[in-house]
Amino acid sequence: MPMSTSFKKAYRADSSKDHTLLTPQQRRYLFETNLPAMNEPSRPRTNSTTQRKSRLGVRKFIKTQLYVLIFALMHGIFSLYIRTRQAWNVVGYQMSSVLFYHHATPQYIQKDVTGLSKLPNHLSAILRSENPRLSADLDRLIDETAELATWCACAGIPMLSVYEKTGVLKKHMPRLYQAVIQKLAFYYGGEHPSLSLTCPHQESYSSPNVNTKDSIGHLRLHLISSQDGRDSMVDLTRTLADMSQRGKLSPQDISMDLINAELSEGVMAEPDLLILFSPHIELSSYPPWQIRLTEIFCLQDNETFSYQVFIKALRNFANAQMRRGK
Amino acid sequence: MSGTVNFLQRLVFQSPPGEWALSQLRDLLIGALKQGPVPQHVAFEMDGNRRYARSHRMETVEGHHRGFESLARIMEICYKAGVKTVTVYAFSIENFNRPQYEVDGLMQLAKVKLEQLTTYGDILDRYGAAVRVLGQRDLLREDVLQVVDKAVARTQHNKNAVLNICFPYTSRAEIATAVQSTVSEFLAPPAPKNQLFSPSRIRQNILSRQLNGHDPLPTIRDSSPEKQTETEVAEGEGAVDADGGDSSSATLPPDSPSPRRRTRNGSYDEAKLPDPETITVETLDRHMYTSEDPPLDLFIRTSGVERLSDFMLWQCHQDTQIFFLNCLWPEFDFHHFVWVLLEWQWRLKQKSREDAPSRRRNGTIVE
Repeated sequence: MPMSTSFKKAYRADSSKDHTLLTPQQRRYLFETNLPAMNEPSRPRTNSTTQRKSRLGVRKFIKTQLYVLIFALMHGIFSLYIRTRQAWNVVGYQMSSVLFYHHATPQYIQKDVTGLSKLPNHLSAILRSENPRLSADLDRLIDETAELATWCACAGIPMLSVYEKTGVLKKHMPRLYQAVIQKLAFYYGGEHPSLSLTCPHQESYSSPNVNTKDSIGHLRLHLISSQDGRDSMVDLTRTLADMSQRGKLSPQDISMDLINAELSEGVMAEPDLLILFSPHIELSSYPPWQIRLTEIFCLQDNETFSYQVFIKALRNFANAQMRRGK
Repeated sequence: MSGTVNFLQRLVFQSPPGEWALSQLRDLLIGALKQGPVPQHVAFEMDGNRRYARSHRMETVEGHHRGFESLARIMEICYKAGVKTVTVYAFSIENFNRPQYEVDGLMQLAKVKLEQLTTYGDILDRYGAAVRVLGQRDLLREDVLQVVDKAVARTQHNKNAVLNICFPYTSRAEIATAVQSTVSEFLAPPAPKNQLFSPSRIRQNILSRQLNGHDPLPTIRDSSPEKQTETEVAEGEGAVDADGGDSSSATLPPDSPSPRRRTRNGSYDEAKLPDPETITVETLDRHMYTSEDPPLDLFIRTSGVERLSDFMLWQCHQDTQIFFLNCLWPEFDFHHFVWVLLEWQWRLKQKSREDAPSRRRNGTIVE
């Protein structure tokens, strides 16, 4: 609406005086002169001659051709821009990956996080699976999860949840558990933090030896998939509907707190930080209820799973401020 | 030096011919963008009005006014580009925690703008634009609520474009409301889903048409979700009455008060109740505030904050493209938006290109 400077001036003056400056007619005039033209021009008029119509058609045709041309031009420029940006970013990330490297040593990772003002209590990550039926892809997923879990353990983050859309990781829990333990042993040498591996609706795997627990720390690794998003909420609704049909619950009792309690218990609580290893932000059916205030981190144009994404996300999180509506 | 540059810039861009040329250029670019796919539903989280006000040394409320101007600008672009639905986060339930004078200022702003909307409603009619207000209505002040209702009622018949104003809204409250109303729906004997085209009602229709030659088919008169569920429930009960086989009730208008079957103290007639296992994602979807809107294609948040902050959680967690921009909302302008639209189109193209070969590869594996 507000387009020309004169209009803007008049509008602002009027609005600062609580809309008393202009008469309704004046205001109406202002609006009407600045409104956009309509999308669908009026229906073909009956009285217009065929000659006029055809000229209009030609004009329309030329206009469309012009639009197509400009469209191609815009996208040409844009892909040039985005290729340059991608190349630039990739080179930058390559260089900073030399700077940020964990050297498979917990001390290095601890040193990287000591300067940060706060750490997330619950970190979450979305891992991508191109074709989880291929065993190479599964191996990669397990390796990435183990790596990430170890970084979290080293940084002192008590909880990590890993989201993988298809849920293939949940089917290989014993294997994943072994992989993480191996990775931890590889980083720490002898004594390493204990681990418990959980996922919704299944029993958990945890370290059998309790005595190591209090010495170095404990990590809880939680696995979630797209099933734990909308589907779990549908399940909850079914249960609630069933209960209220039996007269055990009135619909008025259903509140945000009740749903939140159920979902935090049954699926997981709200994470503090969500890391994406994809080039742009797309949540791919991540549980919706839980990402309310989660800080989302995604390194632009980054396609790789690497330690620098992890550490940059932690830095970004430490600098972010939570305002909670204020 | 910068002063003269600034002056020259103003001279060129703010003179009538300069403005005309700029607006022609904008139209040209938007027309060009329309040659590709255009998002059907865009959500804006208008963040940064207060920071803008602070950095420009003006009052907070003034910042919100600038934010509104920005919204009007973006709406115009969206309309020209052919975006069907725009959803904006105007006021969060959490925002009630802000200083009282600011809350009052925002309420006043909303009231005045919506009042103007109703006054100049015919202009909106020309564009076929409807305004809907999504959120917890009970939290609004009485006078604001009246204006809201008036504006919504004034424009609800328009179908070409929709502006959803989330006011006061949080996504969790929306989801909780949806769960609640789904459960209530399943408490009412037969779910409307199962009997949308119930044989008994069709029979009833034919019967009553024969009887007095008019069409008693219930029409849904209101598009606001709460009211709609009410009508649905009422319809459901009406149909149950007809199921009871009492032919004299066939001419009863469907939403007239009908004898209720459920007993007040607890247990319901279980044989008549729909099975809760039939609740699906679609059922919940139908109870969201955005049930009538196309799926969310694009989510834009300004001011560099990288959180969803309780906005459109249910709608944007699937394949919506999410953009967090660094500019403040009052500064958000044509060139930002065009850039975002371009990237959106580019990603869409990229995605379809990625999908095609993988499908081919999968195909060969299967063979």
